[in-house]
Amino acid sequence: MARIYQIPSHARGWLTLAIIAASLPQLWGGPLWQAGLLAVVLAWRALMDRQRLVLPGRVMRLVLLVATVGATFYSFGRLHGPEAGTALITSLFALKYLELVSKRDAYVLIVLGYFVCATILLFHRGPAMALYVIGCLILLTASLAGINYSDTHAHRRQHLTVAAVMVLQALPLAIALFVLVPRIAPLWNMQLDSGQARTGMSDSMSPGQVSRLTESSELAFRVQFEGQPPPPRERYWRGLTYSYFDGTTWRQASPPGWDRAQRFYDGRGPMPDWYQALLNAAVDRTGYRYRVIMEPSRQRWLYALAVPFTDFDGTALARDFRLVADGPVNGAFSYRVRSVDVTGAVPALSDAERRLMLDLPEQGNGEARALAQRWRQRHRDDRALVEAALRYFREQPFFYTLEPPRIAGDTVDEFLFGTRRGFCEHYASSFTFLMRAAGVPARVVAGYQGGEMNAGEYLQVRQYDAHAWSEVWLPGQGWVQVDPTAAVAPERIELGLRGAFEQAADGAAGEFDGLNRLPVLFQLQQWADYVDFNWQKWVLGYRQQSQRDLLERLLGAVTPLRVGLALLTVVLVFSVVLGLLVLSRRRDTPVSPLEREFARLHRSLSQRGLRAPDTLSAAQLEAAVTRRWPSAAGAAGHWRRLFEHLAYRDRGTPGTADLAALRRRRRAVLASLASPRRAK
Amino acid sequence: MLKQAWQRWLDRRLPRARQVQLDQRRIFIFPTGYGFLYLLVSVLLFFGGINYENNLILGLCFLMVSLFLVAILHTFRNLSGLSLRAGASRSGFVGGQGSVEVVLIAQRRPHRALWLRWLDQPAQEISVEPGEESALWLNLPLSRRGRTRPPRLRVESRYPLGLLRSWSLVALDQVCLAWPRPQESQDCPADGGDRERQVASAGQSGSEEFQGLRGYVPGDSLGQVDWKGYARGRGLNVKLFEEPASGRLWLRYDRIEGVPVERRLSILCFWVLRLSRENRPFALVLPGAELPPGQGEEQRLRALNLLARHGEAD
Repeated sequence: MARIYQIPSHARGWLTLAIIAASLPQLWGGPLWQAGLLAVVLAWRALMDRQRLVLPGRVMRLVLLVATVGATFYSFGRLHGPEAGTALITSLFALKYLELVSKRDAYVLIVLGYFVCATILLFHRGPAMALYVIGCLILLTASLAGINYSDTHAHRRQHLTVAAVMVLQALPLAIALFVLVPRIAPLWNMQLDSGQARTGMSDSMSPGQVSRLTESSELAFRVQFEGQPPPPRERYWRGLTYSYFDGTTWRQASPPGWDRAQRFYDGRGPMPDWYQALLNAAVDRTGYRYRVIMEPSRQRWLYALAVPFTDFDGTALARDFRLVADGPVNGAFSYRVRSVDVTGAVPALSDAERRLMLDLPEQGNGEARALAQRWRQRHRDDRALVEAALRYFREQPFFYTLEPPRIAGDTVDEFLFGTRRGFCEHYASSFTFLMRAAGVPARVVAGYQGGEMNAGEYLQVRQYDAHAWSEVWLPGQGWVQVDPTAAVAPERIELGLRGAFEQAADGAAGEFDGLNRLPVLFQLQQWADYVDFNWQKWVLGYRQQSQRDLLERLLGAVTPLRVGLALLTVVLVFSVVLGLLVLSRRRDTPVSPLEREFARLHRSLSQRGLRAPDTLSAAQLEAAVTRRWPSAAGAAGHWRRLFEHLAYRDRGTPGTADLAALRRRRRAVLASLASPRRAK
Repeated sequence: MLKQAWQRWLDRRLPRARQVQLDQRRIFIFPTGYGFLYLLVSVLLFFGGINYENNLILGLCFLMVSLFLVAILHTFRNLSGLSLRAGASRSGFVGGQGSVEVVLIAQRRPHRALWLRWLDQPAQEISVEPGEESALWLNLPLSRRGRTRPPRLRVESRYPLGLLRSWSLVALDQVCLAWPRPQESQDCPADGGDRERQVASAGQSGSEEFQGLRGYVPGDSLGQVDWKGYARGRGLNVKLFEEPASGRLWLRYDRIEGVPVERRLSILCFWVLRLSRENRPFALVLPGAELPPGQGEEQRLRALNLLARHGEAD
């Protein structure tokens, strides 16, 4: 059997550390056996390095490999897919360490380590994790430097220094490449479906669903306005509309027989008439311009103020004034929007649409239907009817609460005439029901309402800002937004959820109270979010569109030629600058301040005609000066004595004051050369 | 053909010299297999980053590529500025090995994990710290008698990351002398001396008169050192014998007849070694060259070198 390759002892520590560091993020959330496997491998390896154990035989290794693959399949139910794949690669990475028998294996292990680092970034995208991965990269590079230096008396730390210096030197170019290398669209579709449920809106709404979201202060999206943001009560972020009600649950629906072009417009093909109408109405109005940076929602719908216009970069506009992404939002996603309130510009409702917007279950909720009929008889005008309904909510003893009692059966009746304690979805649902029962086309809109400004720069919209409201079709006015919650709890709309519950001192707002009592903590949280926002915007969200915008500003125009030239220039400039830095001679011989002083005097003297090699001692230099310029003998002696004192005393390197004194004496020497008479 | 052209180009570009300092003209650089593996991983990461629309993975890929570029500079730097000087050489017999010394001088920066080798010999690893000199003996197989020039020395380094290999082919102006391979022969090709005694056993025979002692000079035969006296603390002295004229053997090239030149030299070489082993004085006469009588280690080396150089133009 061939001799087993031994990693140099000074490199072993770095390699072990690199393996642990690269595996840790996976081990943290992964199944427990993975951590166990790594521990076994590390212990085995440590004993092997101390000659206490032999390398596991082929059978043993095969058993371990099969066990690992089996365990992965057992834990994840499959071997492919990002999560199972990452777990498998991380485990194989550990196993590879066990069977490291040649230098080749060591290389393969380390290069595999770079790959494991990349898998970390699949699931963790924060700035802290990016720094952590750079740390792993340095450790791996240090191991690489270690195995390439087989001298036994090498110092452990020198590898880390080499690696850190190299990675730091590589960073500027990496950043330039990040900015310049063109982002291309995915070559094939890879869904990062982790099966994790995300908090957020869903495609249906039943009582209690939105109020559950208020328990989460997770970020939903951020908005950066160009110019003044709209006041809080106008910040209605539309996500979806629900048009179909089955008695308990509201769902998305569109009139039967409609094709895609009637529902969406994604910028391709001829403009449908509804889009044309919206565009015509919006053309000479400013509205709001802003950029929305979404958090991953794993859903296709996006949030924007009505009516959102985009350049269709991965988005499409739906007929119900909302934006839809081309695919589920799994990573950071951002889009620019111009919102203009032209909801009234839509042409009249078609029959099919009207029928859908009036549709109710055959029976159930009889009391509510009766109430709606009474209103209808009293008010012929739809507008007056809406007013009556709002008045009803305002005047009857309805309560706005985060913890509504559970209702079942005829949910609308239960709520309107029974509990009367509800959250926005109860109000929106029952209001829309009443409108439809009274013959007014209506639908429920779900999304978020409000948002908090951070640092005056951008708006944070969190899950607890989730909201549902209604829209009614009024003849001559088109779709009009009506928020019954505002009638019951206007402070919810004006102050946001937090403000509303602060005022009400409702017990349900415990989480917010905690935050408010510690303003420092709150401030810290805001700063962290600010960092995160810019990270999202500039790093994670740096996509095709934002790259084009930035490059346009940097290069004037984005043509393949310009980008190519810019890339080439950057690489060349980087190589030359770094080459000068790395290969420069001056950096290789550290020059002490005293040597520099000596060299300066020597240079000045040779400019004045003194021929002397630069390997002289201070005393020899003094002698040479005295021979050539007898007048300068005194000054030169002065200089020499101080120089020798500073150079040979054993109190360490001279301070700035000492050096200043030496500099003065040097000038005195030169002065006495220039004007010998005065010096006398 | 191609090989010759390559050699000619090398000779023009990197001429032979006593001392060579490696610089950009003399250093070549190319990725190793692991370097390509590393680049392959970064390309995979690029596609992974594109497909998962993950900018961080793309960033990692760019960082790896930049690290590779930085590694080019550092690998180059590890060789650049290194000086190699031709050192001493040790001669050997044809068919055996000689060796030459190469001195590595680091002036300003460390040069780590350098591999030196020529031909297909296993490489030797050495590191030199700034301001230091390190010497390395490299074996050289000797196939022809006479002065042998070592082939180009390959100085290679993969430090620091092993992703790239930088190397230079250094031709040091250095010579290793190949002595003729000794060939046994019964007949001693010599004049003078006592025929009957030529194959007598080694050591001082009774026919030589002990004359006295003189101080040891390096090169004296160790067999003549007065070890007993040395053990008694009288210092290192050499015993002097009065040599009878008949004891001196004149090894003569022209005493061997009917054999080719190399064979003759081999026979002479055999006798030089044998007489030296027996610690007997001898002289050597070759056409155009003569070694006066003498004995000991120095005489042996001189005789061997003379044999090795026989027939050389200079």
